[in-house]
Amino acid sequence: MKLSYNWLCEYVDVRDVTPEQLAARLTQAGIEVEGVAPRSRVRGVVVAEVTACQPHPHADRLQVCTVHAGVHGTHSVVCGARNVRPGMRAALALPGAELPGQRIERAVIRGVRSEGMLCSAAELGLEVRLLPKEQTEGLYPLPDDAPLGEEVSAYLGLDDVVLDLSLTPNRSDCLSLRGLAYEVGALFNRPVHMPQPSDPAGLGPSPLQVRLDSPLCSRYEAQVLCGLTPRPSPLWLQMRLLASGIRPINLIVDVTNYVMLEWGQPLHAFDGDEVQEQTIVVRQARPGERLVTLDGVERTLDEDVLVIADSARAIGIAGVMGGENSEVRASTRTIVLESASFDAVSVRRTGQRLGLRSEAQQRFEKGIDPLAVRAALLRAADLLCSLGGAQRVGSWVMAGSSPEAPDQVIPFSPRAANQLLGTEVDPAEMAEVLHRLGFGVQQTAADQWLVHVPSRRPDVSMAADLAEEVARVLGYDRIPSTPLQGAATAGVRTPLQRLRKRTREVLTGLGLTEVFTYALTHPAALDALRLPADAPDRRQVTLLLPMSEERSALRTRLLPSLAQVAQYNLARGVTGGQVFEIARVYLPHKVPVTEQPAEPEYWAGLWFGSTEPSVWERPRPYDFYDAKGAVESWLEALGLLEQAEFRPALSPWLHPGRSAEVWLGDTRVGSLGELHPETADRLETGSAVYAEFALDPVLACLSERWRVTRLPRYPAVRRDLAVVVAHQVSAAALLQAAYRAAAAAGEEENLLADCRVFDVYTGRGIPAGHKSVAVALTFRSAERTLTDTQVQAVEAQILRQWHEQFGAVLRAEA
Amino acid sequence: MQAHDVEQKVDQLATAAMQRLQAADDAHSLEEWRVAYLGKKSELSQILRQLGQLPAEERPRVGDAVNRARQQLQAAYAARKQALAEAEQQRRFADEAVDVTLPGRRTPRGALHPLVRTMYEIEEIFLGMGFSIAEGPEVETDEYNFEKLNLPKDHPARDMQDTFYITDTLLLRTHTSPMQVRTMERMRPLAPVKVVVPGRVYRRDEDDATHSHAFNQVEGLVVDRGVRMSDLKGVLEQFARAMFGPDQAVRLRPSFFPFTEPSAEVDVRCIQCGGTGCRVCKETGWIEILGAGMVHPRVLDGAGYDSREFSGFAFGMGVERIAMLKYGIEDIRQFYQNDLRLLRQFARAW
Ligand SMILES: [Zn+2]
Repeated sequence: MKLSYNWLCEYVDVRDVTPEQLAARLTQAGIEVEGVAPRSRVRGVVVAEVTACQPHPHADRLQVCTVHAGVHGTHSVVCGARNVRPGMRAALALPGAELPGQRIERAVIRGVRSEGMLCSAAELGLEVRLLPKEQTEGLYPLPDDAPLGEEVSAYLGLDDVVLDLSLTPNRSDCLSLRGLAYEVGALFNRPVHMPQPSDPAGLGPSPLQVRLDSPLCSRYEAQVLCGLTPRPSPLWLQMRLLASGIRPINLIVDVTNYVMLEWGQPLHAFDGDEVQEQTIVVRQARPGERLVTLDGVERTLDEDVLVIADSARAIGIAGVMGGENSEVRASTRTIVLESASFDAVSVRRTGQRLGLRSEAQQRFEKGIDPLAVRAALLRAADLLCSLGGAQRVGSWVMAGSSPEAPDQVIPFSPRAANQLLGTEVDPAEMAEVLHRLGFGVQQTAADQWLVHVPSRRPDVSMAADLAEEVARVLGYDRIPSTPLQGAATAGVRTPLQRLRKRTREVLTGLGLTEVFTYALTHPAALDALRLPADAPDRRQVTLLLPMSEERSALRTRLLPSLAQVAQYNLARGVTGGQVFEIARVYLPHKVPVTEQPAEPEYWAGLWFGSTEPSVWERPRPYDFYDAKGAVESWLEALGLLEQAEFRPALSPWLHPGRSAEVWLGDTRVGSLGELHPETADRLETGSAVYAEFALDPVLACLSERWRVTRLPRYPAVRRDLAVVVAHQVSAAALLQAAYRAAAAAGEEENLLADCRVFDVYTGRGIPAGHKSVAVALTFRSAERTLTDTQVQAVEAQILRQWHEQFGAVLRAEA
Repeated sequence: MQAHDVEQKVDQLATAAMQRLQAADDAHSLEEWRVAYLGKKSELSQILRQLGQLPAEERPRVGDAVNRARQQLQAAYAARKQALAEAEQQRRFADEAVDVTLPGRRTPRGALHPLVRTMYEIEEIFLGMGFSIAEGPEVETDEYNFEKLNLPKDHPARDMQDTFYITDTLLLRTHTSPMQVRTMERMRPLAPVKVVVPGRVYRRDEDDATHSHAFNQVEGLVVDRGVRMSDLKGVLEQFARAMFGPDQAVRLRPSFFPFTEPSAEVDVRCIQCGGTGCRVCKETGWIEILGAGMVHPRVLDGAGYDSREFSGFAFGMGVERIAMLKYGIEDIRQFYQNDLRLLRQFARAW
């Protein structure tokens, strides 16, 4: 909403308050002022008449004009405008004049002296996008009765300041000068004077019949006027519309807009002679009914659309846009002025469906003041009569509920309001604020009031609203800061929140960088994962109206997002990286989606490109074991490493020979592996390793309570064995076999305390298809110090087991 | 053999030996010198052995002279040996010296994402004030995202947030506020309710430097008997001081949210200029960081807390906005581009 300072001052006198002060006070009270701008800064420009035009001796396109400016005398001005002609009045910028962005001086133009400049609309700083072509091309023509010599700034009302208000949707009252006048009146404690429209008696009944056939219109009023000829509005009225951002059209349309701005009540005028049988029917449209609206578009309507009709056909869409068939034209002699109260939701839905968003529609949507319906109608009739010479034909006619909307009455306790706000405002001060706002205050008992809220403030409906009114008028600065009272509470993270945080700590500690990617993805992003057609991951939650296909489906896997990060960074010269994200995926229970999907959380890591070059280690491509190391460290941090089992896995997006899934007991918690070359190709990551783990199943395996293992009392004996086995024998299989053999060998206790692989070798001296695996065995007894013989016995059992199970031979013997 | 000759010879020997010692500049030549002048076959030893050939009365004097010379040479030898050892060690240290300016052997630190880091900072502050952390679904129902928050269908206030719909009744939550209702429904009739709710939210906005179709919010909710708007101000002031510095202040401005009444926009002193006015705060000295208000009685009643007995406040802040202010990031899209050159800067833990 654009608010003209001068216009406002007509209803509430705040001339002693600067526009900037006014803006600050409004903002402080919740009417946010986004900008304060002078309408145009024009000084030294006066109304003048062109009395003669001579061609410029040295330039074809220029003319030398003699211009008379009343008390400012006669001047010779060089002018290039095509519409300049003797007899026209225009704005003359005298030498020394100031215009937006320029200063005018005497000049010699192509050898001819020019004492000033004749101005165009743009040069005057007028809102050219709202003006018709004939006023923006060439000089801005002034009316023939414009007083010669008068300052144009005063004459056009350019010496005004426009406040740009950013209104919250609850304050529909502030979509009018009247509402803003009451608001400003309350804030500065000033009286408000609105024009009192006249309601002449003795006019006789209206020739018009009005019938309401739909509950979506609670009241419809109309006034028939005749004797009008379409003509431009007086300049002051046009200027007020311009300042408010509305395009002047002709007197009839301009008056309806002017009164809408003044009273907040949308009005519509249409050609009275087009109303068949002088009957207006407000009804829902018939299915398939067609109407060409004022914008020239033919619309097909249905029962959800409320229309204004005559006895035969629709002539307008209620509250949204008039019909072309009843448009006010140059030939129009009789008009019907309409002022009505249409259902907010219906108007809103119709506007949305037709893709329209008019000023009228916005006001209906947010709620209008029922008391303004009649006043606005009368005011518009007054203006048309006084400015356009119209005459009323009969009195107004009305259908629907009575205009006497009762005030809203709200029980109010000053003490409760102070309690809610945490303030100690004197009840008398509260009463004064409410009075200033135009609310009635009636005390019924100690601390019990009844507050009467006028119908122009539909947003105030309960005690909390009144508390806000008091607080915002007094200023929120009156609210102190107090510490929170009440029972003490402990702020602790839930187990899932802790797991997430620990995971981040572990992974960043290992050198992984966290990323944050969009959950909305391209549905085809999954194609790179080589998923079978019926894979559940392919069932996605998709948007009805996405902004782009790129962001139209909620992801079911994190890999494509991480791959994009890799791609982005590789394209910017990064040679590699280790990144991770902790985020949700969205898994619908069924498609099409009818209920909220599951939103399980994952951490996913991607190792792409090569390790960072360093003095100490040559860069090498990240591989399976980089990811596995990170996963192991993570499991170790959670106390789950011992029980975790890595099994070869088959995920379509992973290299089948270089991937594993991780099991905790009977639960598969995640997988890791090199990307399948096809996947890597399509995701453009180069070779990369990917890991993903679901957090919920891991959470289920975590135990809050654990205790240390007591330190051993007797020394351990370490033996290293290197055995040669076939390539496909896994380390885990060897170690498991060792534990089993040792368990079988020991009588009371398993003497093999620990057993791990410390080297794997292939190459010289090892037969093809084989590898040498070096295993460190640690033997220990809880009962005694072990002897060599005891250790050798178990060792021999292990070697025998390995030999029998895997054909393993000691490397020295191989 | 004359005693006098012997003494003279000893003197000459000692002088020559001392001179030669200077030339011994490594362990080997020093050992040769020792053998030559102090060894069993050295001239001094021979002189000592021949002492018996001198007259008895001269023997003590000459013997003393020889011993003195021997001690002198031994002392000189020891000193020389130590000097050489020290020089040798110095040489070795010099050879062994490392270039201390080369980088250490380490795994480069990883980094939390700036949004997560900021969310954690916010969470820590509220955990310290006794709030717990709740989380909720991103795919929400119209009922929880709007209707139960006093935003009925076809209410013009719905225009404040353009929504991604999935079906007529399902949508991507436009704010974390639905968790106000979900939390109250879960907690009722217990009091106090004190939670913050971090999470992703979505708006149907074109992505540009200051808008994003996806961003993060932290919602806060307190419900109890006798909660006042001044408590809201107090809590937010504590938050602002912990987040932005001890001399922070907050300012409330009246505003409108359908689910709070009274409602407020909350400003803090400009982080850039400290309140004197700059480009960041548009010369006002203040920057808006969150929206807040007293929970609307209809929302309280709808979620099972009788508004005649309970009151509460709620607030919501944009994590991106706070991170942008705090770390000087100027384009919201940078959070989602994940340029490692930017993210790695957050390796610093302080
Ligand atoms: Zn600043």
